[in-house]
Amino acid sequence: MNAALELKGVVKTYGRRRALDGLDLAVPRGSIFGLVGSNGAGKTTALAVTVGLLCRDAGTVNLLGEGTFDPLRHAGRVTLLPQDSRLPLHARAEDLLWFYGRLQGLTEGTLRESIDEVLEWVHLNDRRRSPVRTLSHGMMRRLTIAQAFLGQPELVLLDEPMSGLDPREAARIRAILKRRHDAQTVVISSHNLHELETLCDGAAFIEAGRLVRQDNMDTLTRRSRRVTYFLEPGGRALPMEELKQALPGATWEQTPDGAELTVKFFDETARAAEVNARALAVLLGHGIGVLEIRRGSNLESEYFSVTDAHAAPVAPST
Amino acid sequence: MNATLRNIWTVTLHELTDSIRSRRAIVLLILYALNAVVATLIFVKVLHEMENQFEKAVGVAEAQKAGGTTTAMWKNRHFRELISHLVGNKETAEKLLETPPLALFFGWLSFFYTPLLVILMSASRISEEIWSGSVRFMMFRTSRLSWCVGKYAGQALQLLVALLLSGLAAWITGWCRMGFFDPGANAAAIALFSLKAWIYGIAFLGLAMGVSQIIASPHVATAIGFVVMILFSVVSMLAEWVTRQPWQEILNALDLLVPGGHKMDLWLPDALHAGVATVFLLALGAAYMLAGYVRFSRRNL
Repeated sequence: MNAALELKGVVKTYGRRRALDGLDLAVPRGSIFGLVGSNGAGKTTALAVTVGLLCRDAGTVNLLGEGTFDPLRHAGRVTLLPQDSRLPLHARAEDLLWFYGRLQGLTEGTLRESIDEVLEWVHLNDRRRSPVRTLSHGMMRRLTIAQAFLGQPELVLLDEPMSGLDPREAARIRAILKRRHDAQTVVISSHNLHELETLCDGAAFIEAGRLVRQDNMDTLTRRSRRVTYFLEPGGRALPMEELKQALPGATWEQTPDGAELTVKFFDETARAAEVNARALAVLLGHGIGVLEIRRGSNLESEYFSVTDAHAAPVAPST
Repeated sequence: MNATLRNIWTVTLHELTDSIRSRRAIVLLILYALNAVVATLIFVKVLHEMENQFEKAVGVAEAQKAGGTTTAMWKNRHFRELISHLVGNKETAEKLLETPPLALFFGWLSFFYTPLLVILMSASRISEEIWSGSVRFMMFRTSRLSWCVGKYAGQALQLLVALLLSGLAAWITGWCRMGFFDPGANAAAIALFSLKAWIYGIAFLGLAMGVSQIIASPHVATAIGFVVMILFSVVSMLAEWVTRQPWQEILNALDLLVPGGHKMDLWLPDALHAGVATVFLLALGAAYMLAGYVRFSRRNL
């Protein structure tokens, strides 16, 4: 795999606590990649170690195939949206981006164009002359997103990018991320698994500073191997034999209340569209109402099933 | 331009514009200028009182404005011999007596308050960016050293402007309030003392920026900056007072490592002493700053 970011056995300790405990990660170049994990799992630490904000204790970091982060080599090519970091309050939005752009080596012409572009993306063009302290929390967040995309970096690391954004702005940012240029790699750390599922090509589950699982989104959510039908309640008995004949080799599971019917197919060549065509023909032919169809599982369920063993036990409520 | 130099310059410019936007620079300039005006007014008043008492004692008419008697005394051969005797070096004494009294006072004043104001204004400059996390937006765009050096240079330029402005304030105050005032000689001498105070201040600026890189809390950094500055003064005082061996030699060696140990050389009018002191003070400033950088270069941000 041509990796934009590769971590191998990375260890980072804070005193006695191991925030990263031999973390391995490989992010394919040109992908949008999600980092999923519980609070304190090591996602933020991993991103900070990647760009040298935190000094690692062991392991290797390989950025863009050129080794460890080096500001002279990677300035402007790798950017970060850090979590819980405040922008300088007195600077004006445009001046701040200008300063950051100059630091990463952009020429005046390129920088001017890039500032116009990213401010347009995040809907802050009308506030470009405003001091940061006069912006709302959401606007500041958008400005921090804008700085991460200044100058078309090759690798963008975003730590909780959508937190504090209203639904409209979050949707806008998601659309921007999908429209990014092909060579750009974006790594997103987020607790919003639905968002990651819709945005990302792949994801990694991290718990207790270790990689639990990493794969592309289709495999993680079993999109290519599972279809669930949500059926009208109180309907007729399911024609299971007919369904099995329609899709030989597939297995069928039904919830006790009969509201969900899941088909799992292990044949790699089977297409979901073909599976739907055959299954729906049987179901609709028997007058069974189909309310909704979902391809695959969802990232949240998969995350829970994969990481339950690693998660800290929940303290009993008193 | 080399990327490192370009980034240092970019950070320096940003430091200046940020100080102006945040009104920190205005506060700094007001502090320096106000300090110079008030101190000069007090100096002129005290000088006038002393001159009037002297005039009364010798039975001559009391002057309406300050400066006349002192100027006359400054030119008096016996007074000059007395000063030569006190200084212990005729050439140095003659050079000092070429300096107008107001400029000498300004020199003493600026050497006194510059370290205090430098620690007050600069010891939090890096720590507050660590504290707020805003440093994280820069550290993947430039090297930590470029950023620190840029901040240092930005602060040094602000200090120079502040000292020149305070010199101008003292000069205008003296011109308005003193009866006998040589504008040219005063302007030249005050400008020279402003530059010397700046060089002296650069060493303390290195201390402030060094502490600021080590301590993440802005308030604690400022407090520690003051504590270290006081310790430096104690070393210089002890180096002057203690005569018992081997303490005297140890203290003299230590005194070379603090700005106070080079203050008198910088005061001296001859180029050799002042030049050596300048080199030492600039080197000390850089050394303190780099000592802080040793920690900053490895700290988690």
